[in-house]
Amino acid sequence: MNLATYARRNLFRRRGRTILTLIAVALAVLIFCFIRTAIVAWNAGVDEAATDRLATRHKVSITMQLPKHYIDDIRQVPDVKASTWANWFGAKDPKKRLPFFAGFAVDQDTWFDVLDEMQVTPDVLATWKQTPNGAILGDKLAHALEVSVGDKLVINSDIYPGDWEFKVVGIYKAMRKTADRNTLLFRWDFLNNDPRAAFSKEKIGWMVSRITDSVHSADISRRIDAKFDTQDDQTQTMSERAFQLSFLGGVSAILSVFAIGSLVILLIMTLILGNTLAMNVRERTHEYGVLRAIGFPPGHILGFILGESVLVALVGGLIGIGVAFLVINLGVSPALEEAGGPFQYFRTPGYLFGVALAAAVGLGVVAGAIPAFLGARLKVTDALRRLD
Amino acid sequence: MVPIQYNARSLMVRKVTTFAAAFGIALVVFVFAGALMLNEGVNRGLVTAGRPDVVIILRKGSDAELSSAISNEYLGLFRGPPQVAQAGGVIGEIIVVVNAERSDGSGVSNVLVRGTPADGIAFRPEIRITHGHAPRPGTDEVIVGKAISGRFKGLEEGGSFDLRRNRPLHVVGEFSADGSSYESEVWGDLDKVRNSLGREGVVSSVRVRLNSPSDFDAYRQTIESDQRFSMKVMREADYYAKQSEAIGRFLMIIGVVMAVLFSLAAMIGAAITMNGAVAHRVREIGTLRALGFSGRSILLSFLIEAIVLSVIGGVIGSVLVLLLSFVKFPVINFQTFSEIVISFQATPAVFWKALVFSGVMGLIGGLVPAIRASRVSPIEAMRA
Repeated sequence: MNLATYARRNLFRRRGRTILTLIAVALAVLIFCFIRTAIVAWNAGVDEAATDRLATRHKVSITMQLPKHYIDDIRQVPDVKASTWANWFGAKDPKKRLPFFAGFAVDQDTWFDVLDEMQVTPDVLATWKQTPNGAILGDKLAHALEVSVGDKLVINSDIYPGDWEFKVVGIYKAMRKTADRNTLLFRWDFLNNDPRAAFSKEKIGWMVSRITDSVHSADISRRIDAKFDTQDDQTQTMSERAFQLSFLGGVSAILSVFAIGSLVILLIMTLILGNTLAMNVRERTHEYGVLRAIGFPPGHILGFILGESVLVALVGGLIGIGVAFLVINLGVSPALEEAGGPFQYFRTPGYLFGVALAAAVGLGVVAGAIPAFLGARLKVTDALRRLD
Repeated sequence: MVPIQYNARSLMVRKVTTFAAAFGIALVVFVFAGALMLNEGVNRGLVTAGRPDVVIILRKGSDAELSSAISNEYLGLFRGPPQVAQAGGVIGEIIVVVNAERSDGSGVSNVLVRGTPADGIAFRPEIRITHGHAPRPGTDEVIVGKAISGRFKGLEEGGSFDLRRNRPLHVVGEFSADGSSYESEVWGDLDKVRNSLGREGVVSSVRVRLNSPSDFDAYRQTIESDQRFSMKVMREADYYAKQSEAIGRFLMIIGVVMAVLFSLAAMIGAAITMNGAVAHRVREIGTLRALGFSGRSILLSFLIEAIVLSVIGGVIGSVLVLLLSFVKFPVINFQTFSEIVISFQATPAVFWKALVFSGVMGLIGGLVPAIRASRVSPIEAMRA
């Protein structure tokens, strides 16, 4: 019998305890992966925002609109390649089949040139340009509202009274995995020509511009804002990422709760692992005394205990990430992504599995450290005297 | 029954392992109680802002004050019905969200500005000016709620911000509002605010004080059936409950799901500890059985020990969670895209639920070890 055999047999001496500890470690790693994936998924939409696009909004308030002629002015700014605009419609489904979706009144001639993560076929675009009340939907939204191309679609608004009737002319394709597939697009001129929108006649909500040089986006932003500085309605231009974050600002606190939660579960795991190790060491004190008495140095005892801790953490961690992969990437994700909502793309990235495993092993060392140290430091005589 | 003292002493003897298991449970209770406190904060911040005798009128089709618009001329008509309280019974206000830069440099967010008439502050008895003075009617003076004071550039006493080019509003004071969401708003003069926005003659919402809460149905009937306008009448409390519904439920679900998942891990921790205790004390258990204690008493004794262990954790967690009372938590109101700052609210119910939760964890975690203990055969045990 060599030392490795001794260590292996030790591991399964209290089989129930080892198995429970393995389950606890695996569970903690699974929960860690799940929480971290939620954070990654939440940030994904914002992180994937195009870096060569700027959003220009009213300086004072997002609810205040800009004069239509601003779009012509912004196109004069050097380094602005293309610009388009949109108005927030406050869209609501009269049958309340889904709680929230984005509805934009947009320019049919330029929208898809700038927002290239949404794509339609040339045929659909041509039809749209000939259909004043034409609407283009994301595939998930069309599914939720139970409409397909050619159907009539009635939508209400939080801002504009009454029923708004559209004709569905197409479904856009999301070209990026985080692109929203729940958006309703219809023609801005259709809104602008309606008497119910008289109070926002010839007004646009915000502008989105594609720029030639994303490195100098800050300079270009300043140039755009300078252009409107002497006007009554001043603007604030920012990266698309900052624009999206200005709506999600309050969410950052929730993300920090997630981040703290993911650390708490690791702490719980460390406590459980450390507890198991401490109990093992306590029960084997007598044996360690014997080992020391027949000549094994304290370093060996330390190695036994620490090795056992790391081994349990490693095996538990591997089980945890395996289950996480099966449950999250193959089970939960397709369901969550189908359901719409905030998670357009809910997958655990590969590096996260690595981080989780490294955290488990690292904490295995931490958990084993104190019991190992105490075990190694035992005096032979004390250890042998202890009988319980 | 085996004396509880026996359990208490047993826990004391194994200080380290008792503490490790209890602290694991404390962390779970911390998460659980934190979620409950946050939910209390949301309820307090958003729901209790409503008073039973006040109704809010919005344009039909609008779900929030921000998207509603009502012509000034209707205010007189809202005052007409006999259910309306005589003095200071009707106020119309304008709501706008403004772009504000965070003081800590972490980007921009939206803050809600309320333009209120001269009697708007008196309409809400919970408003207290905590610093500076109340804005004088008809001036460009504003006050800022204490929850957001200092969180955004210019939004603190002595600061100023633009609603329109070269027409700054000056912050002259700070107010509290009994923890309600008003504390996350900026209040100024009705006409100043709406003129700056070019919305003269329009209000966003109208609040009406009725003689008694029971007049609601009659008043609502009168206004909603009036052919001259198309309005929606809600109790103020219902309006706020609806506003907070989405965010409150969202936070609650996240918190409780997290706590329940965490509790699985902590229960395994408790089970390991209790299993160890049983294995360690087989001879003691055998002795107890030989002395005449029944298997059922042993079962009960170990269950109590597990529950005591985890309630110790529950108490530690409950004490730790009190620290959250000092934390301000910004959430987003999805209806206005503006930030509301809420605080964690400790109530007796939170602690009561936290202790029960920890007790249940101990019960479940200790069940299998306790059953094992009760099945120890006295003869085998004494021989071991």
